[in-house]
Amino acid sequence: MKLTSLEQLQKIKEKGLQQTYPDKIKIMVGMATCGISAGADKVYKALEDKIAALKMDAVLEMTGCIGFCQQEPLVDVVYPKKVRVSYATMTPAKAEALVEALNAGEFFGENVLCRIDQEEFLVEGTKKTYANPHPPELPGDVPKYEELPFFKKQVKIALRNCGYIHPERIEEYIGRGGYTALHQVLTGMQPEEVIAQVKDSGLRGRGGAGFPTGVKWEFCRKAAGDLKYIICNADEGDPGAFMDRGILEGDPHAVIEGMAIGAYAIGASQGYVYCRAEYPLAIHRLQIAIKQAEDLGLLGDKIFGTPFSFKLKIRKGAGAFVCGEETSLIASIEGKVGEPRPRPPFPAQSGLWGRPTIINNVKTWSHIAPIMARGAEWYAGFGSETSKGTTVFALVGKVNNTGLVEIPLGITLREMIFEIGGGIAGGRAFKAVQTGGPSGGCIPEEFLDTPVDYESLGALGSIMGSGGMIVMDERDCMVDVAKYFIDFTKDESCGKCTPCREGTLRLMEMLEEVTAGRGQEGDIEKLEKLSRVIKKMSLCGLGQTAPNPVLSTIKYFRDEYEAHIWAKKCPAHVCKELITYRVVPDNCIGCQLCRLKCPVEAITGAKKVVHEILQEKCIKCGTCYEKCKFDAIVVE
Amino acid sequence: MDKDKCTGCGVCAEACPIRYEVQLPPEEEAKARSAYAQATDEAVVAEIIDLYRDEPGNLLPILLDINSHFRWLPRPALDHLSQELQTPLSEILRVASFYNAFSLVPRGEHIINVCLGTGCFVKGSPRILAELERKLGVKHGQTTEDMLFTLEVVRCIGCCALAPAMRVGDDTFGRLTPGQVGKIIDSYTKTANL
Repeated sequence: MKLTSLEQLQKIKEKGLQQTYPDKIKIMVGMATCGISAGADKVYKALEDKIAALKMDAVLEMTGCIGFCQQEPLVDVVYPKKVRVSYATMTPAKAEALVEALNAGEFFGENVLCRIDQEEFLVEGTKKTYANPHPPELPGDVPKYEELPFFKKQVKIALRNCGYIHPERIEEYIGRGGYTALHQVLTGMQPEEVIAQVKDSGLRGRGGAGFPTGVKWEFCRKAAGDLKYIICNADEGDPGAFMDRGILEGDPHAVIEGMAIGAYAIGASQGYVYCRAEYPLAIHRLQIAIKQAEDLGLLGDKIFGTPFSFKLKIRKGAGAFVCGEETSLIASIEGKVGEPRPRPPFPAQSGLWGRPTIINNVKTWSHIAPIMARGAEWYAGFGSETSKGTTVFALVGKVNNTGLVEIPLGITLREMIFEIGGGIAGGRAFKAVQTGGPSGGCIPEEFLDTPVDYESLGALGSIMGSGGMIVMDERDCMVDVAKYFIDFTKDESCGKCTPCREGTLRLMEMLEEVTAGRGQEGDIEKLEKLSRVIKKMSLCGLGQTAPNPVLSTIKYFRDEYEAHIWAKKCPAHVCKELITYRVVPDNCIGCQLCRLKCPVEAITGAKKVVHEILQEKCIKCGTCYEKCKFDAIVVE
Repeated sequence: MDKDKCTGCGVCAEACPIRYEVQLPPEEEAKARSAYAQATDEAVVAEIIDLYRDEPGNLLPILLDINSHFRWLPRPALDHLSQELQTPLSEILRVASFYNAFSLVPRGEHIINVCLGTGCFVKGSPRILAELERKLGVKHGQTTEDMLFTLEVVRCIGCCALAPAMRVGDDTFGRLTPGQVGKIIDSYTKTANL
């Protein structure tokens, strides 16, 4: 059936709500890539088998990732009209016990993460309350969702449906207000009004550069040409970031609806989603979503019976980081080698096959529908003076709570890491936070009170980037981290321009010398000089930002470089050439654990005899250090 | 090439139409060719080409499909493609050698991708990689003798919150320790021997 009216959309919405909130107990399992790799598929199977074995009258569904990846596999139980309870770090055995308890009408009290009393229907601006007053059978000490430090400061706009709906069912997206914004735009707004509203909202490109989205659209709208294109950049190459994957796997229709609105605004009829091949599940769910939208006439010819037509195709990437750069991405869609070209002309004037083209990131697109539905003023109410709205970060590394976090721009790094992130894992000391991936920089402790927005992070020599936020502790060597990023950009440099191709290679060689203890006087200055040359002379964003990790680590952690060069020591005990593992005879009780675990038989000794590490055989893998329970192995 | 006369100016390399071709040693070349059984495989390639024939910019999708079917890009398939698309082989090889997803040499039955994204890196993925290299007896980028495993590194599979992670074929494993790696590999070896 092709939808032509709001009434028809309403009917689907009712069906969707019925599916999302059935009249019987519903069990949901978070099945994004993160959940599955933590074992959610096994938990799902266990639940399925147990429900069948007990012939229980319950619904079992999968959903996207609610963001708290640290606690995966996550299972949610929705008691109809009462409450929703989230369970963390579930196992198949616990899942079976959960079903048994539910079947017996009891509350399952283990592994409880939180309870959700109400859900926000963001696009409509309403709240769905489960029950009031609170169900008596639920113990009083179960924390509320909004009380958990991880969720407390989050504002979910792009992630509004992730973890709440079945990502492969369009009805459930429509149930929570989906596609009403598209209907509203197509039937009641001129393209110029749409652009004005995006401009007023202050939305800036969430891919990292932060160019005002509405301004870019206006350029494209005004560009000459009857054929224009819309592209969604889902080539999330930034290592340590998975926001786009989270959205595509949890709520693909949010991106499709945003793109359709964008297409109407600039006058395009064909769109592409360029998604990296490393995300097979995201591609799979997006394919399903596109098919469903086509079946309902929300993509294709004459959408909602209006003259507007829009078709959407998926293009898979082939593993090239540089293809996240817009001109490379366009070349790649055209079937060519993904090499960038000089701008101007910008893609908004001359892009895909020489036509005016708009490229926005997954996160940017998923903000569009709520902005249309709730208005520019509402959106601009979040965030800081220059950076409006919210953005999604992948908070990973050495924090206690890792996961996907959507925050209003302007909250501080300290709030991100120590409140939402729950501080550093293992009680170790914080050292640095890295934002912006290989284009960004490392920010030290003294700047933790910096607000997270485009300008503030830029002033520190980092960038906001697409949303990777990697926290490092005292056991991370900053020279090694700089080397890691340069190794990355060296590999991913497309080779077209010399400063980037040769420069990153030379930086890598110099950093290798330093980490191997062969650094010399003047090396730091050489690194800085070459970095400045690469920044100034490179053709595209990859090269222009590639030296940022080197420059920022030299700026804030110069003492670590100096320790490598002068003292030939790695203060964080990471660089293999500069460390040795040694047995402390007084602590060693001769338990043989390290000797048995050593992969290269570099440890001698016998039961109750103090062990010894043969330095010539030791590969410095650190296994013995980690296995020893008596602090009898030291690294120096 | 006459070594006595060469000045190393590089003009020939610039002009060479097949400079993107991977030069295999003779025994590798023979192995690569025999891995592509002509008749049936040609039909597969023809089918893939037909799927995208009229689409603009179809080279990448076609190469991706061929690559996922054979797990690499056999040279005869590229010859075939070159003729069908009326595209010079040098251009196809240029694209095929640019992107990381493509392999121009045969790969094993199970492709292991160890994630070296930043999230995994700070959580110790280099040690996972080192353990795999020891266990399989190959370096990353290489294939085991029995053609069962190819060990590769990938820059982020988006599983950063469960770092360190790796992918074997389509299966993703998170929160790895070097100790688990051996067991995971063994589970694949066993299914292969059944």
